[in-house]
Amino acid sequence: MKLMISLIKNELIKISSKWRSFIGFIAIAVLMPLVMWGFSVGGSEIHDDMTRQLEGSFIIVGSVFNGFLATYFVMNFLWVHIPFLVTLVAGDVVAGEGAAGTFRIYLTRPVSRMKIMLSKLLATYLYTLALVGFFALMSLGLGTIWLGTGDLVVFDDGILILSAELAWPRFTIAFILATVALCTVASLCFMFSAMVNNGIGPVIGSMAIVIIGLAIATIPLDLFENLSPYLFTDYIDIWNLAFRDPIPWDEIGKSLLILGLYATAFSGIGFAVFLRKDIRT
Amino acid sequence: MSSVNNVVLSVKNVSKAFKEIKAVDDLSFDVHAGEIFGFLGPNGAGKSTTIRLMLGLIRPDAGDVEIFDKAVTQHRNGSLHGVGALIEDAAFYKNISARKNLEILARLAGGSGRRIDEVLDIVDLLPRAESKVKTYSHGMKQRLGIAQALLHEPKLLILDEPTTGLDPHGMKEVRELIVQLAEEGITIFLSSHLLNEVEQTCTAMAILNKGRLVTTGNVKKLLADTEIFQTEIKARPVEKARVVLEHLDSVSQLTVEEDVIKIAVAAVNLSKVTKALVESGIEVDSVVPRTSLEDYFLSLTGDQDS
Repeated sequence: MKLMISLIKNELIKISSKWRSFIGFIAIAVLMPLVMWGFSVGGSEIHDDMTRQLEGSFIIVGSVFNGFLATYFVMNFLWVHIPFLVTLVAGDVVAGEGAAGTFRIYLTRPVSRMKIMLSKLLATYLYTLALVGFFALMSLGLGTIWLGTGDLVVFDDGILILSAELAWPRFTIAFILATVALCTVASLCFMFSAMVNNGIGPVIGSMAIVIIGLAIATIPLDLFENLSPYLFTDYIDIWNLAFRDPIPWDEIGKSLLILGLYATAFSGIGFAVFLRKDIRT
Repeated sequence: MSSVNNVVLSVKNVSKAFKEIKAVDDLSFDVHAGEIFGFLGPNGAGKSTTIRLMLGLIRPDAGDVEIFDKAVTQHRNGSLHGVGALIEDAAFYKNISARKNLEILARLAGGSGRRIDEVLDIVDLLPRAESKVKTYSHGMKQRLGIAQALLHEPKLLILDEPTTGLDPHGMKEVRELIVQLAEEGITIFLSSHLLNEVEQTCTAMAILNKGRLVTTGNVKKLLADTEIFQTEIKARPVEKARVVLEHLDSVSQLTVEEDVIKIAVAAVNLSKVTKALVESGIEVDSVVPRTSLEDYFLSLTGDQDS
Protein backbone atom coordinates (compact mmCIF):
# COMPACT_ATOMS: atom_id res chain seq x y z
CA MET A 1 0.00 0.00 0.00
CA LYS A 2 2.81 2.37 0.93
CA LEU A 3 4.58 1.57 -2.33
CA MET A 4 1.38 2.14 -4.32
CA ILE A 5 0.92 5.55 -2.69
CA SER A 6 4.54 6.37 -3.60
CA LEU A 7 3.98 5.24 -7.17
CA ILE A 8 0.80 7.32 -7.49
CA LYS A 9 2.68 10.29 -6.07
CA ASN A 10 5.33 9.75 -8.76
CA GLU A 11 2.69 9.73 -11.46
CA LEU A 12 1.02 12.86 -10.14
CA ILE A 13 4.38 14.65 -10.12
CA LYS A 14 4.97 13.59 -13.72
CA ILE A 15 1.47 14.68 -14.76
CA SER A 16 1.84 18.02 -13.04
CA SER A 17 5.21 18.64 -14.67
CA LYS A 18 3.65 18.74 -18.12
CA TRP A 19 2.09 21.78 -19.69
CA ARG A 20 -0.66 19.74 -21.36
CA SER A 21 -1.98 18.73 -17.94
CA PHE A 22 -3.00 22.31 -17.26
CA ILE A 23 -4.69 22.98 -20.57
CA GLY A 24 -7.98 21.65 -19.20
CA PHE A 25 -7.80 23.72 -16.04
CA ILE A 26 -6.83 26.84 -17.96
CA ALA A 27 -9.62 26.29 -20.49
CA ILE A 28 -12.19 25.89 -17.73
CA ALA A 29 -10.77 28.84 -15.77
CA VAL A 30 -11.06 31.06 -18.84
CA LEU A 31 -14.28 29.68 -20.27
CA MET A 32 -16.46 29.56 -17.18
CA PRO A 33 -16.19 33.24 -16.18
CA LEU A 34 -16.82 34.06 -19.83
CA VAL A 35 -19.91 31.85 -19.96
CA MET A 36 -21.20 33.21 -16.64
CA TRP A 37 -20.65 36.74 -17.85
CA GLY A 38 -22.55 35.86 -21.00
CA PHE A 39 -25.41 34.48 -18.93
CA SER A 40 -25.46 37.53 -16.71
CA VAL A 41 -25.68 39.81 -19.75
CA GLY A 42 -28.01 37.72 -21.90
CA GLY A 43 -29.77 35.80 -19.17
CA SER A 44 -32.98 37.77 -19.59
CA GLU A 45 -33.46 36.22 -23.05
CA ILE A 46 -33.26 32.74 -21.58
CA HIS A 47 -35.53 33.78 -18.74
CA ASP A 48 -38.15 35.15 -21.16
CA ASP A 49 -37.91 32.05 -23.29
CA MET A 50 -38.42 29.77 -20.32
CA THR A 51 -41.23 31.72 -18.72
CA ARG A 52 -43.09 31.68 -22.07
CA GLN A 53 -42.97 27.88 -21.93
CA LEU A 54 -43.98 27.74 -18.29
CA GLU A 55 -46.61 30.48 -18.02
CA GLY A 56 -49.48 28.22 -19.10
CA SER A 57 -48.91 25.87 -16.20
CA PHE A 58 -47.04 27.85 -13.55
CA ILE A 59 -47.07 31.20 -11.93
CA ILE A 60 -43.53 32.47 -12.14
CA VAL A 61 -42.41 34.65 -9.29
CA GLY A 62 -38.97 36.17 -9.68
CA SER A 63 -36.37 34.79 -12.06
CA VAL A 64 -35.83 31.15 -12.94
CA PHE A 65 -32.48 32.11 -14.34
CA ASN A 66 -29.78 31.61 -11.71
CA GLY A 67 -26.42 29.92 -11.06
CA PHE A 68 -28.00 26.47 -10.95
CA LEU A 69 -29.58 26.80 -14.35
CA ALA A 70 -26.38 28.25 -15.81
CA THR A 71 -24.44 25.28 -14.41
CA TYR A 72 -27.02 22.87 -15.79
CA PHE A 73 -26.50 24.43 -19.23
CA VAL A 74 -22.70 24.32 -19.13
CA MET A 75 -22.74 20.72 -17.99
CA ASN A 76 -23.39 19.93 -21.64
CA PHE A 77 -19.64 20.47 -22.06
CA LEU A 78 -19.40 17.03 -20.44
CA TRP A 79 -20.46 15.37 -23.69
CA VAL A 80 -17.33 16.00 -25.75
CA HIS A 81 -15.29 18.95 -24.54
CA ILE A 82 -14.34 17.74 -21.06
CA PRO A 83 -13.68 14.17 -22.30
CA PHE A 84 -11.23 15.68 -24.77
CA LEU A 85 -9.44 17.53 -21.97
CA VAL A 86 -9.23 14.29 -19.98
CA THR A 87 -7.74 12.36 -22.90
CA LEU A 88 -4.93 14.90 -23.22
CA VAL A 89 -3.46 13.47 -20.03
CA ALA A 90 -4.74 9.90 -20.25
CA GLY A 91 -3.25 9.52 -23.70
CA ASP A 92 0.14 10.63 -22.56
CA VAL A 93 0.41 8.81 -19.26
CA VAL A 94 1.93 5.63 -20.71
CA ALA A 95 2.74 6.54 -24.30
CA GLY A 96 4.51 9.72 -23.24
CA GLU A 97 7.07 7.74 -21.28
CA GLY A 98 7.60 5.46 -24.24
CA ALA A 99 8.18 8.45 -26.48
CA ALA A 100 10.54 10.15 -24.05
CA GLY A 101 12.47 6.95 -23.37
CA THR A 102 12.04 7.30 -19.61
CA PHE A 103 10.82 3.70 -19.31
CA ARG A 104 14.45 2.73 -19.94
CA ILE A 105 15.15 3.92 -16.43
CA TYR A 106 11.78 3.66 -14.71
CA LEU A 107 11.16 0.03 -15.61
CA THR A 108 14.60 -1.20 -14.66
CA ARG A 109 13.74 -0.85 -10.98
CA PRO A 110 12.43 -3.89 -9.10
CA VAL A 111 8.78 -2.89 -9.24
CA SER A 112 6.28 -4.91 -11.24
CA ARG A 113 4.83 -3.44 -14.38
CA MET A 114 1.40 -4.28 -13.01
CA LYS A 115 1.90 -1.92 -10.06
CA ILE A 116 3.32 0.78 -12.30
CA MET A 117 0.36 0.53 -14.66
CA LEU A 118 -2.10 0.52 -11.78
CA SER A 119 -0.48 3.66 -10.35
CA LYS A 120 -0.72 5.33 -13.75
CA LEU A 121 -4.38 4.41 -14.11
CA LEU A 122 -5.26 5.61 -10.61
CA ALA A 123 -3.33 8.84 -11.14
CA THR A 124 -5.28 9.36 -14.37
CA TYR A 125 -8.54 8.85 -12.47
CA LEU A 126 -7.39 11.31 -9.79
CA TYR A 127 -6.60 13.83 -12.51
CA THR A 128 -10.07 13.26 -13.98
CA LEU A 129 -11.61 13.76 -10.55
CA ALA A 130 -9.61 16.96 -10.07
CA LEU A 131 -10.69 18.27 -13.46
CA VAL A 132 -14.36 17.54 -12.79
CA GLY A 133 -13.99 19.05 -9.32
CA PHE A 134 -12.52 22.19 -10.83
CA PHE A 135 -15.27 22.25 -13.44
CA ALA A 136 -17.84 22.00 -10.65
CA LEU A 137 -16.15 24.73 -8.67
CA MET A 138 -15.95 27.08 -11.61
CA SER A 139 -19.46 26.40 -12.87
CA LEU A 140 -21.55 25.80 -9.77
CA GLY A 141 -19.36 27.83 -7.41
CA LEU A 142 -18.84 30.79 -9.68
CA GLY A 143 -22.37 30.54 -11.10
CA THR A 144 -24.14 30.68 -7.74
CA ILE A 145 -21.91 33.52 -6.55
CA TRP A 146 -22.36 35.51 -9.75
CA LEU A 147 -25.96 34.71 -10.68
CA GLY A 148 -27.35 33.69 -7.32
CA THR A 149 -29.37 30.64 -6.34
CA GLY A 150 -33.04 29.73 -6.62
CA ASP A 151 -35.22 26.99 -8.02
CA LEU A 152 -33.72 24.87 -10.74
CA VAL A 153 -35.99 24.30 -13.72
CA VAL A 154 -35.04 21.27 -15.75
CA PHE A 155 -36.65 20.27 -19.03
CA ASP A 156 -36.15 16.56 -19.49
CA ASP A 157 -39.11 14.27 -20.18
CA GLY A 158 -41.30 17.00 -18.75
CA ILE A 159 -40.58 19.83 -16.40
CA LEU A 160 -38.88 19.34 -13.06
CA ILE A 161 -38.55 22.15 -10.61
CA LEU A 162 -36.06 21.58 -7.83
CA SER A 163 -35.75 23.88 -4.86
CA ALA A 164 -32.34 25.32 -4.07
CA GLU A 165 -31.98 22.91 -1.15
CA LEU A 166 -32.54 19.97 -3.49
CA ALA A 167 -30.41 21.36 -6.29
CA TRP A 168 -27.17 21.12 -4.32
CA PRO A 169 -27.31 17.34 -3.71
CA ARG A 170 -28.55 16.77 -7.28
CA PHE A 171 -25.52 18.59 -8.67
CA THR A 172 -23.25 16.65 -6.32
CA ILE A 173 -24.68 13.37 -7.64
CA ALA A 174 -24.46 14.66 -11.22
CA PHE A 175 -20.77 15.52 -10.91
CA ILE A 176 -19.98 12.18 -9.28
CA LEU A 177 -21.73 10.37 -12.14
CA ALA A 178 -19.95 12.57 -14.67
CA THR A 179 -16.64 11.59 -13.08
CA VAL A 180 -17.43 7.91 -13.59
CA ALA A 181 -18.33 8.50 -17.25
CA LEU A 182 -15.14 10.49 -17.79
CA CYS A 183 -13.06 7.80 -16.07
CA THR A 184 -14.42 5.35 -18.64
CA VAL A 185 -13.26 7.65 -21.43
CA ALA A 186 -9.93 7.96 -19.62
CA SER A 187 -9.68 4.14 -19.48
CA LEU A 188 -10.29 3.94 -23.22
CA CYS A 189 -7.52 6.44 -23.85
CA PHE A 190 -5.28 4.69 -21.32
CA MET A 191 -5.72 1.45 -23.28
CA PHE A 192 -4.57 3.12 -26.49
CA SER A 193 -1.76 4.82 -24.59
CA ALA A 194 -0.41 1.42 -23.52
CA MET A 195 -0.28 0.29 -27.14
CA VAL A 196 1.72 3.09 -28.74
CA ASN A 197 4.66 5.37 -28.10
CA ASN A 198 3.18 8.77 -28.84
CA GLY A 199 0.69 10.75 -26.84
CA ILE A 200 -1.37 12.13 -29.72
CA GLY A 201 -2.63 8.89 -31.28
CA PRO A 202 -4.56 7.78 -28.18
CA VAL A 203 -6.28 11.18 -27.93
CA ILE A 204 -7.39 11.05 -31.57
CA GLY A 205 -8.41 7.40 -31.30
CA SER A 206 -10.44 7.91 -28.14
CA MET A 207 -12.20 11.02 -29.33
CA ALA A 208 -13.01 9.37 -32.64
CA ILE A 209 -14.68 6.51 -30.77
CA VAL A 210 -16.58 8.88 -28.47
CA ILE A 211 -17.81 11.01 -31.37
CA ILE A 212 -18.75 7.98 -33.49
CA GLY A 213 -20.57 6.43 -30.52
CA LEU A 214 -22.49 9.64 -29.85
CA ALA A 215 -23.30 9.98 -33.54
CA ILE A 216 -24.65 6.44 -33.70
CA ALA A 217 -27.01 7.27 -30.84
CA THR A 218 -28.51 10.16 -32.78
CA ILE A 219 -29.11 8.33 -36.07
CA PRO A 220 -32.74 7.11 -36.16
CA LEU A 221 -32.11 3.72 -37.69
CA ASP A 222 -33.22 0.48 -36.05
CA LEU A 223 -29.75 -1.00 -36.42
CA PHE A 224 -28.11 1.86 -34.55
CA GLU A 225 -30.91 2.14 -32.01
CA ASN A 226 -30.49 -1.54 -31.17
CA LEU A 227 -26.73 -1.19 -31.02
CA SER A 228 -26.66 1.97 -28.96
CA PRO A 229 -27.46 0.47 -25.51
CA TYR A 230 -24.37 -1.72 -25.79
CA LEU A 231 -22.05 1.22 -26.37
CA PHE A 232 -20.53 3.03 -23.42
CA THR A 233 -21.11 6.33 -25.18
CA ASP A 234 -24.82 5.83 -24.61
CA TYR A 235 -24.16 6.34 -20.89
CA ILE A 236 -21.78 9.28 -21.14
CA ASP A 237 -24.70 11.56 -20.16
CA ILE A 238 -25.38 9.53 -17.02
CA TRP A 239 -25.18 12.79 -15.03
CA ASN A 240 -28.52 13.81 -16.53
CA LEU A 241 -30.20 11.09 -14.46
CA ALA A 242 -29.47 13.09 -11.31
CA PHE A 243 -32.01 15.68 -12.46
CA ARG A 244 -34.99 13.35 -12.74
CA ASP A 245 -37.64 12.94 -10.11
CA PRO A 246 -37.49 10.57 -8.47
CA ILE A 247 -33.84 9.78 -9.13
CA PRO A 248 -33.85 6.55 -11.17
CA TRP A 249 -31.38 4.64 -9.05
CA ASP A 250 -32.00 1.39 -10.94
CA GLU A 251 -31.12 3.03 -14.21
CA ILE A 252 -28.14 4.73 -12.63
CA GLY A 253 -26.98 1.40 -11.22
CA LYS A 254 -27.29 -0.28 -14.61
CA SER A 255 -25.48 2.58 -16.33
CA LEU A 256 -22.69 2.53 -13.75
CA LEU A 257 -22.36 -1.23 -14.19
CA ILE A 258 -21.99 -0.90 -17.95
CA LEU A 259 -19.53 1.99 -17.63
CA GLY A 260 -17.62 0.01 -15.01
CA LEU A 261 -17.46 -3.04 -17.25
CA TYR A 262 -16.19 -0.96 -20.14
CA ALA A 263 -13.63 0.80 -17.94
CA THR A 264 -12.43 -2.55 -16.59
CA ALA A 265 -12.23 -4.05 -20.06
CA PHE A 266 -10.35 -1.06 -21.50
CA SER A 267 -7.94 -0.96 -18.57
CA GLY A 268 -7.53 -4.75 -18.63
CA ILE A 269 -6.58 -4.72 -22.30
CA GLY A 270 -4.14 -1.86 -21.62
CA PHE A 271 -2.56 -3.83 -18.78
CA ALA A 272 -2.33 -7.04 -20.83
CA VAL A 273 -0.68 -5.24 -23.73
CA PHE A 274 1.78 -3.38 -21.56
CA LEU A 275 2.78 -6.37 -19.44
CA ARG A 276 4.00 -8.13 -22.57
CA LYS A 277 5.27 -5.09 -24.36
CA ASP A 278 8.92 -4.92 -25.36
CA ILE A 279 10.40 -1.61 -24.28
CA ARG A 280 12.57 -0.65 -27.23
CA THR A 281 12.49 3.14 -27.03
CA MET B 1 24.59 -12.73 -3.63
CA SER B 2 26.92 -14.78 -5.76
CA SER B 3 26.57 -18.35 -6.76
CA VAL B 4 28.95 -21.05 -7.88
CA ASN B 5 32.15 -19.49 -9.26
CA ASN B 6 30.90 -16.07 -8.17
CA VAL B 7 28.73 -15.67 -11.25
CA VAL B 8 26.51 -12.64 -10.71
CA LEU B 9 25.14 -12.40 -14.24
CA SER B 10 24.57 -15.35 -16.50
CA VAL B 11 23.16 -15.12 -19.99
CA LYS B 12 21.93 -18.57 -20.96
CA ASN B 13 21.17 -19.45 -24.57
CA VAL B 14 19.19 -16.29 -25.07
CA SER B 15 17.57 -15.59 -28.42
CA LYS B 16 15.40 -12.69 -29.48
CA ALA B 17 14.01 -11.80 -32.89
CA PHE B 18 12.08 -8.76 -34.01
CA LYS B 19 9.89 -10.01 -36.83
CA GLU B 20 12.33 -11.79 -39.15
CA ILE B 21 15.42 -10.08 -37.80
CA LYS B 22 17.31 -12.12 -35.24
CA ALA B 23 18.79 -9.55 -32.87
CA VAL B 24 20.29 -12.03 -30.42
CA ASP B 25 21.00 -15.63 -31.36
CA ASP B 26 21.66 -18.31 -28.74
CA LEU B 27 23.84 -16.03 -26.66
CA SER B 28 25.57 -17.29 -23.54
CA PHE B 29 28.22 -15.83 -21.26
CA ASP B 30 28.88 -15.26 -17.56
CA VAL B 31 29.96 -12.22 -15.61
CA HIS B 32 31.77 -12.88 -12.36
CA ALA B 33 31.77 -10.84 -9.16
CA GLY B 34 34.29 -8.04 -9.14
CA GLU B 35 34.83 -7.97 -12.88
CA ILE B 36 34.66 -5.00 -15.15
CA PHE B 37 33.11 -6.85 -18.03
CA GLY B 38 33.35 -5.24 -21.45
CA PHE B 39 30.61 -5.96 -23.96
CA LEU B 40 31.82 -5.20 -27.45
CA GLY B 41 30.26 -5.39 -30.84
CA PRO B 42 29.73 -3.44 -34.03
CA ASN B 43 26.64 -1.30 -34.44
CA GLY B 44 23.58 -3.51 -34.67
CA ALA B 45 25.37 -6.48 -33.11
CA GLY B 46 22.64 -6.84 -30.49
CA LYS B 47 24.34 -5.24 -27.48
CA SER B 48 21.46 -2.99 -26.44
CA THR B 49 18.93 -5.76 -27.06
CA THR B 50 20.96 -8.04 -24.80
CA ILE B 51 21.02 -5.41 -22.06
CA ARG B 52 17.27 -4.86 -22.34
CA LEU B 53 16.83 -8.62 -22.03
CA MET B 54 18.97 -8.59 -18.90
CA LEU B 55 16.81 -5.90 -17.33
CA GLY B 56 13.46 -7.40 -18.28
CA LEU B 57 12.58 -4.58 -20.65
CA ILE B 58 12.09 -7.10 -23.42
CA ARG B 59 11.27 -10.79 -23.18
CA PRO B 60 13.49 -13.44 -24.74
CA ASP B 61 12.09 -15.84 -27.32
CA ALA B 62 14.31 -18.54 -25.84
CA GLY B 63 16.75 -18.89 -22.96
CA ASP B 64 16.93 -16.64 -19.93
CA VAL B 65 19.16 -14.29 -18.00
CA GLU B 66 20.01 -14.98 -14.39
CA ILE B 67 21.08 -12.19 -12.09
CA PHE B 68 22.17 -13.17 -8.61
CA ASP B 69 20.88 -16.68 -9.34
CA LYS B 70 17.38 -15.48 -10.18
CA ALA B 71 15.87 -15.79 -13.64
CA VAL B 72 14.81 -12.38 -14.89
CA THR B 73 11.72 -13.69 -16.71
CA GLN B 74 10.47 -15.55 -13.63
CA HIS B 75 11.67 -13.35 -10.78
CA ARG B 76 12.20 -9.98 -12.37
CA ASN B 77 11.84 -7.93 -9.21
CA GLY B 78 14.03 -10.22 -7.12
CA SER B 79 16.74 -10.37 -9.74
CA LEU B 80 16.84 -6.61 -10.24
CA HIS B 81 17.40 -5.86 -6.57
CA GLY B 82 21.00 -4.75 -6.37
CA VAL B 83 21.21 -3.80 -10.04
CA GLY B 84 21.79 -0.28 -11.31
CA ALA B 85 21.52 0.44 -14.99
CA LEU B 86 22.05 3.13 -17.56
CA ILE B 87 20.80 2.26 -21.02
CA GLU B 88 21.95 4.34 -23.98
CA ASP B 89 21.21 8.04 -23.60
CA ALA B 90 19.95 8.88 -20.15
CA ALA B 91 16.28 9.89 -20.43
CA PHE B 92 14.70 11.81 -17.58
CA TYR B 93 11.57 13.78 -16.80
CA LYS B 94 12.89 16.98 -18.28
CA ASN B 95 10.48 19.44 -16.70
CA ILE B 96 11.52 18.65 -13.16
CA SER B 97 14.82 18.99 -11.34
CA ALA B 98 17.55 16.39 -11.11
CA ARG B 99 16.78 15.98 -7.42
CA LYS B 100 13.07 15.38 -8.07
CA ASN B 101 13.96 12.88 -10.78
CA LEU B 102 16.08 10.96 -8.32
CA GLU B 103 13.36 11.22 -5.67
CA ILE B 104 10.93 9.61 -8.12
CA LEU B 105 13.36 6.76 -8.70
CA ALA B 106 14.11 6.44 -4.99
CA ARG B 107 10.41 6.04 -4.25
CA LEU B 108 10.24 3.15 -6.73
CA ALA B 109 12.27 1.06 -4.33
CA GLY B 110 10.43 2.43 -1.33
CA GLY B 111 13.55 4.41 -0.46
CA SER B 112 13.78 7.77 1.18
CA GLY B 113 16.34 9.16 -1.20
CA ARG B 114 18.95 9.55 1.51
CA ARG B 115 21.69 8.87 -1.05
CA ILE B 116 20.58 11.52 -3.52
CA ASP B 117 23.10 14.13 -2.41
CA GLU B 118 25.82 11.50 -2.26
CA VAL B 119 25.32 10.23 -5.81
CA LEU B 120 24.89 13.73 -7.20
CA ASP B 121 28.17 14.63 -5.56
CA ILE B 122 29.87 11.58 -7.08
CA VAL B 123 28.97 12.77 -10.58
CA ASP B 124 29.63 16.40 -9.69
CA LEU B 125 26.05 17.58 -10.19
CA LEU B 126 25.22 18.60 -6.64
CA PRO B 127 25.45 22.33 -7.43
CA ARG B 128 22.88 21.87 -10.20
CA ALA B 129 20.59 19.54 -8.27
CA GLU B 130 17.65 21.94 -8.30
CA SER B 131 17.90 22.80 -12.01
CA LYS B 132 15.37 21.33 -14.38
CA VAL B 133 16.85 18.51 -16.42
CA LYS B 134 15.84 20.23 -19.65
CA THR B 135 18.54 22.82 -18.91
CA TYR B 136 21.23 20.11 -18.72
CA SER B 137 23.78 19.42 -21.44
CA HIS B 138 24.01 15.94 -22.89
CA GLY B 139 27.06 15.21 -20.78
CA MET B 140 25.28 16.32 -17.61
CA LYS B 141 22.36 14.04 -18.42
CA GLN B 142 24.75 11.14 -18.87
CA ARG B 143 26.31 11.89 -15.50
CA LEU B 144 22.84 12.09 -13.95
CA GLY B 145 22.17 8.73 -15.59
CA ILE B 146 25.14 7.28 -13.77
CA ALA B 147 23.94 8.91 -10.54
CA GLN B 148 20.53 7.24 -10.81
CA ALA B 149 22.21 3.92 -11.52
CA LEU B 150 24.17 4.29 -8.29
CA LEU B 151 21.17 5.44 -6.24
CA HIS B 152 20.18 2.05 -4.87
CA GLU B 153 23.71 0.95 -3.91
CA PRO B 154 23.96 -1.62 -6.69
CA LYS B 155 26.14 -4.69 -6.54
CA LEU B 156 25.94 -4.98 -10.30
CA LEU B 157 26.12 -1.92 -12.50
CA ILE B 158 25.03 -2.27 -16.12
CA LEU B 159 26.22 0.60 -18.27
CA ASP B 160 25.35 0.91 -21.93
CA GLU B 161 27.65 3.34 -23.73
CA PRO B 162 28.04 5.55 -20.63
CA THR B 163 30.58 7.88 -22.22
CA THR B 164 28.52 8.65 -25.31
CA GLY B 165 28.41 12.36 -25.90
CA LEU B 166 30.96 13.20 -23.24
CA ASP B 167 34.00 15.33 -23.98
CA PRO B 168 37.42 13.72 -23.50
CA HIS B 169 37.67 15.06 -19.96
CA GLY B 170 34.23 13.69 -19.12
CA MET B 171 35.06 10.34 -20.68
CA LYS B 172 38.19 10.09 -18.60
CA GLU B 173 36.25 10.94 -15.44
CA VAL B 174 33.62 8.29 -16.14
CA ARG B 175 36.27 5.64 -16.82
CA GLU B 176 38.04 6.53 -13.60
CA LEU B 177 34.71 6.36 -11.79
CA ILE B 178 34.05 2.90 -13.24
CA VAL B 179 37.42 1.65 -12.03
CA GLN B 180 36.84 3.25 -8.63
CA LEU B 181 33.41 1.62 -8.30
CA ALA B 182 34.89 -1.74 -9.24
CA GLU B 183 37.53 -1.28 -6.55
CA GLU B 184 34.68 -0.71 -4.08
CA GLY B 185 33.35 -4.15 -4.98
CA ILE B 186 30.71 -3.33 -7.59
CA THR B 187 30.66 -5.64 -10.59
CA ILE B 188 30.50 -3.60 -13.76
CA PHE B 189 28.98 -4.65 -17.07
CA LEU B 190 30.14 -2.11 -19.63
CA SER B 191 28.76 -2.10 -23.14
CA SER B 192 30.80 0.07 -25.42
CA HIS B 193 31.71 0.56 -29.03
CA LEU B 194 34.90 2.32 -27.92
CA LEU B 195 37.52 -0.36 -28.11
CA ASN B 196 40.14 1.58 -26.22
CA GLU B 197 37.62 2.16 -23.44
CA VAL B 198 37.20 -1.57 -22.97
CA GLU B 199 40.92 -2.18 -23.37
CA GLN B 200 41.79 0.43 -20.74
CA THR B 201 39.03 -0.34 -18.29
CA CYS B 202 37.86 -3.93 -18.48
CA THR B 203 39.20 -7.11 -16.99
CA ALA B 204 36.97 -9.46 -18.97
CA MET B 205 34.94 -9.11 -22.11
CA ALA B 206 32.60 -10.65 -24.62
CA ILE B 207 32.51 -9.79 -28.29
CA LEU B 208 29.21 -9.94 -30.07
CA ASN B 209 28.63 -9.95 -33.81
CA LYS B 210 25.31 -10.31 -35.64
CA GLY B 211 23.68 -11.33 -32.38
CA ARG B 212 26.06 -14.20 -31.74
CA LEU B 213 28.90 -14.50 -29.28
CA VAL B 214 32.26 -14.41 -31.01
CA THR B 215 34.44 -14.84 -27.95
CA THR B 216 34.52 -14.20 -24.24
CA GLY B 217 37.19 -14.28 -21.58
CA ASN B 218 39.89 -12.31 -19.80
CA VAL B 219 40.91 -9.26 -21.84
CA LYS B 220 44.68 -9.70 -21.40
CA LYS B 221 44.54 -13.42 -22.05
CA LEU B 222 42.46 -12.99 -25.17
CA LEU B 223 44.90 -10.45 -26.52
CA ALA B 224 47.90 -12.61 -25.60
CA ASP B 225 46.38 -15.52 -27.50
CA THR B 226 46.00 -13.52 -30.64
CA GLU B 227 47.88 -14.98 -33.54
CA ILE B 228 48.91 -11.72 -35.09
CA PHE B 229 50.86 -9.23 -32.99
CA GLN B 230 51.08 -5.58 -33.78
CA THR B 231 54.69 -5.11 -32.79
CA GLU B 232 56.73 -2.00 -32.16
CA ILE B 233 60.49 -2.26 -32.70
CA LYS B 234 63.14 0.23 -31.68
CA ALA B 235 66.34 -0.52 -33.55
CA ARG B 236 69.39 1.34 -34.90
CA PRO B 237 69.86 2.31 -37.58
CA VAL B 238 66.17 2.58 -38.30
CA GLU B 239 66.50 2.68 -42.10
CA LYS B 240 68.64 -0.46 -42.23
CA ALA B 241 66.23 -2.25 -39.89
CA ARG B 242 63.33 -1.23 -42.12
CA VAL B 243 65.05 -2.72 -45.18
CA VAL B 244 65.73 -6.00 -43.36
CA LEU B 245 62.15 -6.26 -42.17
CA GLU B 246 60.74 -5.46 -45.59
CA HIS B 247 62.48 -8.53 -46.95
CA LEU B 248 60.97 -10.89 -44.39
CA ASP B 249 57.94 -12.77 -45.69
CA SER B 250 56.49 -13.11 -42.21
CA VAL B 251 56.27 -9.33 -41.74
CA SER B 252 53.45 -7.16 -43.04
CA GLN B 253 51.91 -3.71 -42.49
CA LEU B 254 55.30 -2.11 -41.96
CA THR B 255 55.30 1.56 -41.04
CA VAL B 256 57.91 3.83 -39.52
CA GLU B 257 57.04 6.61 -37.10
CA GLU B 258 60.08 8.61 -36.02
CA ASP B 259 62.39 5.96 -34.52
CA VAL B 260 59.72 3.29 -34.03
CA ILE B 261 59.05 0.61 -36.62
CA LYS B 262 55.58 -0.94 -36.47
CA ILE B 263 54.93 -4.32 -38.02
CA ALA B 264 52.35 -7.07 -38.00
CA VAL B 265 53.86 -10.47 -37.36
CA ALA B 266 52.59 -13.88 -36.33
CA ALA B 267 53.43 -14.80 -32.76
CA VAL B 268 55.40 -17.84 -33.85
CA ASN B 269 57.61 -15.70 -36.10
CA LEU B 270 58.44 -13.00 -33.61
CA SER B 271 61.69 -14.61 -32.50
CA LYS B 272 62.77 -15.05 -36.14
CA VAL B 273 62.27 -11.36 -36.76
CA THR B 274 64.45 -10.44 -33.81
CA LYS B 275 67.11 -12.92 -34.91
CA ALA B 276 67.14 -11.52 -38.46
CA LEU B 277 67.69 -8.00 -37.19
CA VAL B 278 70.52 -9.01 -34.87
CA GLU B 279 72.22 -11.13 -37.55
CA SER B 280 72.13 -8.10 -39.85
CA GLY B 281 74.19 -6.14 -37.34
CA ILE B 282 71.32 -4.01 -36.16
CA GLU B 283 71.16 -2.93 -32.54
CA VAL B 284 67.75 -3.89 -31.22
CA ASP B 285 66.71 -1.71 -28.29
CA SER B 286 63.23 -3.15 -27.83
CA VAL B 287 60.65 -5.44 -29.41
CA VAL B 288 57.22 -4.81 -27.92
CA PRO B 289 54.20 -6.81 -29.09
CA ARG B 290 51.21 -4.49 -28.88
CA THR B 291 48.15 -6.27 -30.06
CA SER B 292 45.42 -3.71 -29.81
CA LEU B 293 41.89 -4.66 -29.07
CA GLU B 294 40.90 -2.94 -32.26
CA ASP B 295 43.02 -5.30 -34.34
CA TYR B 296 41.71 -8.22 -32.38
CA PHE B 297 38.14 -7.03 -32.71
CA LEU B 298 38.43 -6.50 -36.44
CA SER B 299 40.03 -9.88 -36.93
CA LEU B 300 37.09 -11.51 -35.15
CA THR B 301 34.26 -9.53 -36.65
CA GLY B 302 35.59 -9.55 -40.18
CA ASP B 303 36.50 -5.85 -40.41
CA GLN B 304 32.88 -4.83 -40.06
CA ASP B 305 31.82 -1.41 -39.07
CA SER B 306 33.19 -0.95 -35.59
